[in-house]
Amino acid sequence: MITDELYSTYQSNLLAGSRSVCSHIVTDLIHSNIPIKELYIHLFQRSLYEVGTLWERNKISVATEHMCTAITESLINLCYPAIFSANHTGQKAVITCTPGEYHQIGARMVADHFELHGWDGYYLGSNTPTDELIKFTMEKQPDLLAISISVSFNIPSLMALVKKIRSHFSDLKILVGGQGFRWSGADEFQTMGNIHLITSLDELEQKFLIPRRHDT
Amino acid sequence: MTPEANPHLIDYLILESSMICLIIGQDGTILKANSCADSLSGHKLEGHPLNDFFVDFGRALDLTVFLNGSRDKILVNISTSSELPETYYFRFFDLGNSILALGEANRQEIGFLRKNMLELNQELNNLTRELLKKNVELKKLNDLKNQFLGIAAHDLRNPIGIIMTYSNFILEELNHEMTDAQITMLNTIQTTSEFMLRLLEELLDINALESGKLRLEAHKTDLLGLVRTNTSMMNVIAAKKNIHIQVESYETIPEVIIDRGKIEQVLNNLISNAVKFSLPGTTVTVKLFLTGDHVTVAVVDQGPGIPANETDRLFKPFQRTSVKATAGEKSTGLGLSIVRNIILGHHGKIWVESKVGVGSAFYFSLPLSS
Repeated sequence: MITDELYSTYQSNLLAGSRSVCSHIVTDLIHSNIPIKELYIHLFQRSLYEVGTLWERNKISVATEHMCTAITESLINLCYPAIFSANHTGQKAVITCTPGEYHQIGARMVADHFELHGWDGYYLGSNTPTDELIKFTMEKQPDLLAISISVSFNIPSLMALVKKIRSHFSDLKILVGGQGFRWSGADEFQTMGNIHLITSLDELEQKFLIPRRHDT
Repeated sequence: MTPEANPHLIDYLILESSMICLIIGQDGTILKANSCADSLSGHKLEGHPLNDFFVDFGRALDLTVFLNGSRDKILVNISTSSELPETYYFRFFDLGNSILALGEANRQEIGFLRKNMLELNQELNNLTRELLKKNVELKKLNDLKNQFLGIAAHDLRNPIGIIMTYSNFILEELNHEMTDAQITMLNTIQTTSEFMLRLLEELLDINALESGKLRLEAHKTDLLGLVRTNTSMMNVIAAKKNIHIQVESYETIPEVIIDRGKIEQVLNNLISNAVKFSLPGTTVTVKLFLTGDHVTVAVVDQGPGIPANETDRLFKPFQRTSVKATAGEKSTGLGLSIVRNIILGHHGKIWVESKVGVGSAFYFSLPLSS
């Protein structure tokens, strides 16, 4: 369990760049069989949101923000033996960031959640060129495509990408989400067909990853 | 406005600027340094020679070079307290009896490097993710392979046992009614079946070991006694090739906590291998000696030796070396892999020393404590 005290220790060490202390905390939590989702939401996501807020309020430098992200990305690697052990359902998702979006950790956490639920989560990372994404999607024929933006100024780029995708894959289910939608931008996508705005990992899980019982 | 024209501006720059500001004497001594320079170097620079701060890579700094000609920025690497040199771009101004040096970092370059570092780090993490995913998939496939191997080997054991029993019965009971050619054929059936049974037993062993199912029934055991018993049995087989097996031990070997059956399997394997690859008239020596808190057993032969580039693969399953058995004996390619796993299961070590034309020595050591 992630207590406030443990979180606080983790967070202060993350900001100080003490990777080894953070790594010990994460390793201990994994060994204590903490659910991976809890680790992602209550440690990685929470701490990075806090880092983002500190950066936005000019409390930390962009270099510190990048360092915290880099440390978190390396810590996420520790979870993979557990994440990839799930039995595969045969469903496939492609997860990517828009061109020009260099913050990839949110998309990566989404891809890992697909894997955790037995999907094949094909993760393309940051700043994916549109043509490459289209080519990859044609090759993999996924059940859905998830696109993440972390900063709101990438909303126009996301819109252009979605239109291009739609011109190639008219029926493909598209999920959009990320911190880029924190303040605005959601409306434009909600009126488009078969595009779903996802605001949290919980919502992703409830709506798309946990199989629903059919109503009788 | 230039610094030469305004001394107050120089003082301000010296004290407050985020640029490196140095006043350098004609002899190359730093006369004044601002806090930015001191903080980068990790100590007070005043009074130090310039090449305590400027990284000169062995070439003497010639300040006149800096002062000659235009005021183009000159790239200089400086020593920093982080122990990683940093690059600054300097302009030098002649102040008469001294030189003012102003250095600034190249923001564009830093931005470019930072972007590249971020991209490389992301790439590394993405590749690590892919690698770990493939590892888990490979582990699953390996488990599946072991499961299949276990089932196949287990189910084939009985039919082969029946073939062996019946061919043995025919050979013993009906040989007087058979021609020499028929007896040869039956002998071939029997030796082939024996080999197949051994292969299956070893496959089952490998399967159990790889699945983490090695169960040791460890008890206090007289290792020297075990070696002597084993050697005496193996001498019967070795005698057929005119090979002698001897035991050498010159010290008291305390009892060790081991799985007797499994260590016997190790000894059987190593000694029979030594016999297999030795020429008639030679000797195989089994040595026991203490090494710190371990007891070490060495099986030394006078065989052809193993080429150095082949010793690495000796303990891997299904790997064979170019060395041939001296009487055409067959190998499954699994024995040493099993031996290695058994020794590792006992928290011991196994290794080989070999020289072509001289012979090989296989060592294993076992901890004296439990």
